[in-house]
Amino acid sequence: MAGALLTVQDLRVGFLTEQGLVRAVEGVSFDLEPGQTLGVVGESGSGKSVTAKALMNLLPSYAQVGGTVDFDGRDMFAMAASREKHFWGVEMTMVFQDPMTSLNPVKKVGEQIAESLRVHLGRSRRDALAEAGDLLEQVGIPEPGARLTQYPHELSGGLRQRVVIAMALACGPRLLIADEPTTALDVTVQKHILDLLDDLRRARGMAMILITHDLGVVKGRADEVMVMYAGHTMEEAPTTTLFAEMRHPYTEALLETIPRIDTPSHTRLVPIPGRPPEVIEVLDGCPFAPRCRYSIARCLTNQPDLTSHGAGHLCACHAPVGTPSGTQARSANESAGTTATGLDMDQFTRNVPVADPGQSGAEG
Amino acid sequence: MPADPNEHTTPSSRTAKYWRKESHVNVAHAARMAEPPAEPDADRAAPRRLGIIFWVAIGWILLVTTAAIVAPLLPIADPEQIGIGPRASGPTWDQWFGTDGNGRDMFSRTIWGARVSLMVGFFSIVAGFLVGGTMGIVSGYRRGWIDLVLGFVTYVMLSFPLLVLFLLVILLFGQGLWIVTGALSIVVIPSVARLARAITIVFAEREFVAAARLLGATNRRVMVREILPNVLIPMSALLLLGLGLTIVAEGGLAYLGLSVADGFSWGKMIQMGAGLRTLQTAPWVAFFPIGAMFLTVLSLNLAGDRLRQYFDIRELGIGSR
Amino acid sequence: MTYLMRRLAFMFGVLVAVTFLAFSATNVIGDPLFNVVGFYASVDCDAVIAGEIEDVVGTIAGTGIGECERVIEAREKYHLDDSLPVRYGRWIVGMAQGDFGDSYANQMPVSTILAERLPKSVLLMGVSMVVALGVSIPWSVAAAYRANQPFDRASVAAGFGLLAIPGFALAIILFYFFIVRWQIFPSRFMDDNLFSRLHSLVLPAASLGLPLAAVYQRLLRTDLITTLQEDFVITAKAKGLSDRRIMFRHVLRPSMFGMITVVGLNMSALIGGTIIIEQIFSIPGFGRELYVSAIRDDITVVLAGVTVLATAFVVINTIVDLLYSYLDPRVRRAG
Repeated sequence: MAGALLTVQDLRVGFLTEQGLVRAVEGVSFDLEPGQTLGVVGESGSGKSVTAKALMNLLPSYAQVGGTVDFDGRDMFAMAASREKHFWGVEMTMVFQDPMTSLNPVKKVGEQIAESLRVHLGRSRRDALAEAGDLLEQVGIPEPGARLTQYPHELSGGLRQRVVIAMALACGPRLLIADEPTTALDVTVQKHILDLLDDLRRARGMAMILITHDLGVVKGRADEVMVMYAGHTMEEAPTTTLFAEMRHPYTEALLETIPRIDTPSHTRLVPIPGRPPEVIEVLDGCPFAPRCRYSIARCLTNQPDLTSHGAGHLCACHAPVGTPSGTQARSANESAGTTATGLDMDQFTRNVPVADPGQSGAEG
Repeated sequence: MPADPNEHTTPSSRTAKYWRKESHVNVAHAARMAEPPAEPDADRAAPRRLGIIFWVAIGWILLVTTAAIVAPLLPIADPEQIGIGPRASGPTWDQWFGTDGNGRDMFSRTIWGARVSLMVGFFSIVAGFLVGGTMGIVSGYRRGWIDLVLGFVTYVMLSFPLLVLFLLVILLFGQGLWIVTGALSIVVIPSVARLARAITIVFAEREFVAAARLLGATNRRVMVREILPNVLIPMSALLLLGLGLTIVAEGGLAYLGLSVADGFSWGKMIQMGAGLRTLQTAPWVAFFPIGAMFLTVLSLNLAGDRLRQYFDIRELGIGSR
Repeated sequence: MTYLMRRLAFMFGVLVAVTFLAFSATNVIGDPLFNVVGFYASVDCDAVIAGEIEDVVGTIAGTGIGECERVIEAREKYHLDDSLPVRYGRWIVGMAQGDFGDSYANQMPVSTILAERLPKSVLLMGVSMVVALGVSIPWSVAAAYRANQPFDRASVAAGFGLLAIPGFALAIILFYFFIVRWQIFPSRFMDDNLFSRLHSLVLPAASLGLPLAAVYQRLLRTDLITTLQEDFVITAKAKGLSDRRIMFRHVLRPSMFGMITVVGLNMSALIGGTIIIEQIFSIPGFGRELYVSAIRDDITVVLAGVTVLATAFVVINTIVDLLYSYLDPRVRRAG
């Protein structure tokens, strides 16, 4: 797309370990237009945080990165190679998961916010602190002047996350990456922070990548949603489309794990059985197949490509939900009592822990 | 072998085939490989094995100790016999470490010097551990005013200028072996007491101690039967580090002529070789005992540090004074 | 500020205990009278004056009863007939007023001796400290920045080597090479001007400072590596800060605890080391004076030395305590 602020193509991240190459991100592509929000959803280990770190140039030096990332016509990896000084932290910034640990405990809040302004924009100490006060006000912190001279441990978790957001906003970024910004916070505070991020994004016209494990968080906040699993993009669609007609069994399973107001009370939340695979393995088939109740034999041998399911709607599945092949696959599995990968279908109705599919495979 | 999409084979064979292990590194993805991966921090990971360096160090310690113990039986020259070789001559086949200004055999003297160095060092570290360990366990277990008093005593020991303390003790009681040993043990008592107290506090809060107390065990019984064994194991690792410390301290004392009056230690030998004239004409007189002390302390540090990692004790100040 | 008060009371108590111990010990070891009147100290002068016994020593020396009057005079002058605690009280009050007494050996005021000797020792300790910190901090940062890489591994090995060399042995090695063999430095302490003093202090300060640097480097490197794994370091990187700025502005300060504690506790080792090093390099500093005085039973000088050194230790460790709260604001609350 011509108007895209950020174009990510075939992003791959691997970590070379003693056990072999861990493939954390495998060919992720997406576009993000100015002022838009992309929600990235997946369980822990799905590669969503690694994607964010790759974009922020925060990966450790032993990480292997491939693909191209284009930010407003600039090749991001080329900027990383030439140690571009005023890009990260200026144009593209990040808000982290745990505000308890992501602030330096021995520096005053004001100094930490002012630091970016001084380093990147060359502001004087006084100007930078004054601006930091304005930023604190913008993120809804009461008595911003007094907070400037406080230390992080003197603030509550919610206030700290607001400070982290103020820090990220300091240099007026065009893209903000929020990596599970509310996971470590009290439930009562979570909504405030998410709404704040949304308001700030709107007011400043900046783009945002909102990373979460909770599909409920992106509903109504993201323009597009990308569902990731084991480093792969499983499904990608405009948010309304995704919730209206989701195609991927994993998306469906994720949705079943969140509580909803419109279902009768005491409806059991269904956990997804099993765990994400160890990404050291190179998969012939679909990475989700071992935990999927739609899986068919082909899922084990052929990795599904992303195919179009309508305007802007991509899904990588051989038996997509809500299509004839998907319906057929599921009913076949249900009547057999087990899926093509040997998953007991009863597990979707009983809360029993199951053996790690990766381990059982390693035996053979 | 492409399978029929609708075929349901046995699950186990399916999964086994499905999770194929990748052995080679994908070159295309590795194009941006920057640097070799960082290994896990060696400091934090408790080693499963002690390693070759540990055993070499232990070997040297055992060699020196054995030589020192059996020195009178070894076929070496009398360390005090003057004129056993030419005066102040360098290492030769007859005198491996050369001779000093009085023509005494330096090899023999270095072995004999180990006797005093090791003996004073060993007894003072043991005394320091006995006293400091008891102080630490009692104050860590009883807390309250006893802790306060013992903490105060420890701090007084720390702030008393050590050399002045040695001088006072030696002038007061003389330069006997046990006096010097006792005075030197004061070097390690504060560190040992602090460490033992810290470990005791950790264990005093564990369930098995509470259980013993509920069963009506006396305080002394709990300290000796429940806490002491748990404190002893990690502390044993520090015994070697402490021994290095006391050997060096004895050397310093001996250099000032304040150590044991009878016999000679490495420190005294170093002092004898450190005069301007001797350094000009026969530097080996100072350098062989320095080398012996260096290797021994190095071995003690290496072995002790390895043991400390093995038992996973955080450094709490010992080995630093 | 009750914490500070408690702390100060504790420190004051430590000082009283140290000085009392030293005072008692010195007064038991050396009969202070002996230092003033020599062998007459052993004569029972009360009995001599009362005519109960004959003054044997005086008779031999041929001086007669007059010497015993000197003895009585000295006893009164130095209040030697009072009990130990009373004398301690009088002494400590005098100390507090700046009256350190006179040296028994040469009758010079101790304050004069201190004024002449102490600055040299303080300079030596100061330069040694600069060497220790100036070497260990950059060394630790460089090692922790690329932990477990070749430089770090080599520096761990070098640190072990340096730790195993006692300061006095290092001093002799340096003395041999730099003074005896290559004659780069003077063999005696040159007291002409600040430059010559510093020049003379290079080797002594290296002997004292380098082994300390190895101790500090070990501690600081480990703490730096731990801090580098904290989340806020990632935050700082995401802010687009340079590695150098992150290291020095964000990571160094919260990593200094272990090192600072040991710097404080190490003071007495540094002081002890100073005494030996001054001996080896013939520096007429206070450590050397203290050593000589102790051997000569020059009680007033030894006591003044103990008091000065113990006070320095206590003060430095109080400063270290206060430094904690500067380094980590969280400590201020905890107290």
